[in-house]
Amino acid sequence: MDLIVTLIFLSSGLFLGWSMGANDASNAFGTAVATRMIRFSTAAFLCSVFVIIGAVTSGAGAAEGLGQLGAINTLPGAFTAALAAALTVAWMSKLGLPASTSQAVVGSIIGWNLFSGSPTDLGTLRRILSTWIISPILGAIFAMLLYKFLVEWIRLTRPHLLSLDRNTRSGLILAGIFGSYAIGANGIGNVMGFFVAASPFRDLTLGSLSVSSVEQLFLIGAIAVAVGVYTYSRKVMMTVGDGLLTLSPLAAFVVVVSHSLVLFIFSSTALESLLAGWGLPTIPLLPVSGSQAVIGSVLGIGLLQGLKGVRQIRWGVLGGIASGWVTTPLIAAVMGFVLLFVVQNVFGQQVFLPVAALPSEAPALLAPSLTAAL
Amino acid sequence: MAEGGTPVFGKTRFLEGLIEELLDKIVEGSLYLELGVKAYLASEGRSPVCQEKLDQILQVKEQCAELRRRIATLLYSEMLIPDARGDVFRLLGDLFELLDDMGNDFQNLMIEQPTGAPTGYRADFEELNAAALGSVRAVLNASRTFFRDPAAVRDHINEVRLYEAESDRIALRIKTRAFATDHDYESKCRLRNAADMLDGLADKAERLGDELAIFAIKRAL
Repeated sequence: MDLIVTLIFLSSGLFLGWSMGANDASNAFGTAVATRMIRFSTAAFLCSVFVIIGAVTSGAGAAEGLGQLGAINTLPGAFTAALAAALTVAWMSKLGLPASTSQAVVGSIIGWNLFSGSPTDLGTLRRILSTWIISPILGAIFAMLLYKFLVEWIRLTRPHLLSLDRNTRSGLILAGIFGSYAIGANGIGNVMGFFVAASPFRDLTLGSLSVSSVEQLFLIGAIAVAVGVYTYSRKVMMTVGDGLLTLSPLAAFVVVVSHSLVLFIFSSTALESLLAGWGLPTIPLLPVSGSQAVIGSVLGIGLLQGLKGVRQIRWGVLGGIASGWVTTPLIAAVMGFVLLFVVQNVFGQQVFLPVAALPSEAPALLAPSLTAAL
Repeated sequence: MAEGGTPVFGKTRFLEGLIEELLDKIVEGSLYLELGVKAYLASEGRSPVCQEKLDQILQVKEQCAELRRRIATLLYSEMLIPDARGDVFRLLGDLFELLDDMGNDFQNLMIEQPTGAPTGYRADFEELNAAALGSVRAVLNASRTFFRDPAAVRDHINEVRLYEAESDRIALRIKTRAFATDHDYESKCRLRNAADMLDGLADKAERLGDELAIFAIKRAL
């Protein structure tokens, strides 16, 4: 009976996984599919495989981060918060707008904080909000620099049109694979992190191979992400790759690489240690939104072409996307608040434990979970 | 011509080779036409050398038709260069049409005027032949450049325009001269048709050059 209840509660995490797959796959392969460099079926397959690999092999390491924002401390509460985030992202996907899953998660956590009367760490919130501005700006800067460099390089080397096409296609596939791995490794914490403490699985050992319960949980979540990629990601991919600005295949490649660079420099502890080792100032590790980095990169490509590029940008679509960035956390927060009320008062579930009632050793469900794959 | 099927690996290089081969063949066709017209003028009419050059053009045309089909099939079946596929396909089609016109025009010239042009026009026609085929070869060079360095296409297109203007000038001179003489009307019309035939090739090369300039702008990074 307990297992069934746990699985029912887990379903909202799977729904959130599906929503993330439908929305975030566009960060890795959106521009490649929209520029017709890679077939949707190929992109969906590669994205699904590498999301699963990333989630199972590196997902467990994705901890900390959003947990500081609020610590959801009951399974029904986690179910409801995940459901609110999932519904918000699914709605955005239906509109074809690239929303950030982590923005929705931030919104739903704040909704839970408001409902439960828990304090929201304003410092962390400010830091997260600042990344929503920094991320697109950095994406745009990287895209401009990289595009300029590549154009000069092509002018110097003069590759044949077909060789250039082959190299760009290979680059798009590699960058897409890397992006998908990152979605799996970092994003799975957003999806299944709510449920780590309530995982219904047991550790498995097959000879020298052992699979922990958390890895099994992340595998299930990653499969849900893969289903989302296959079933519903095409529309958002087309918005990212073609709706805002018609991109050339080279620009598509630049966008994916810039997005990865933004994620890398703000999440790489290795880079931080390297800079510190050289006595240089370190770059602060901040959770950065991939969706926003992609949109910023696309805009960077447009702006690089001067007035002509500015005219080509479809400002109406950009307005829709930008308003989505503002409304996603708000909608998730409001929806989370309303759903928590319903789950508590209609279904009689305890959606939070008052902070004073928590035994000192009781782990918060969220704490080891939502990270940074913003 | 590249024989056999499509390789499993190295399709890009293979296709690059096919495109280069197609362009080489069209250049070859233009050379045969130039030599054929020279022979026609030298022998003052149809001669075995002219027939041989015509046969060579027709043979090249067949090879080019096959090459173009293979290129189109590969481009579309492998989903290559999605952003420029339509332009490349159109460019190759137009170049093939140019070769087709070269063959047809030369064939018609030999059928309609087997005795050659009236004496006294050889130098003019040789000049016209060189200018018209100069524009054809300049547009072929521009096409080759399009694949590697779209920014440089403009230089070749200026050359095409220059040759075309020269062809127009020479053709006009021939026609004005012909109609100012007391030749019979049929001879005047034959001279006019022969001049229009060569000048027409230069016009087509210029139109192709204009189209190519647009393709190059679209490809410019």
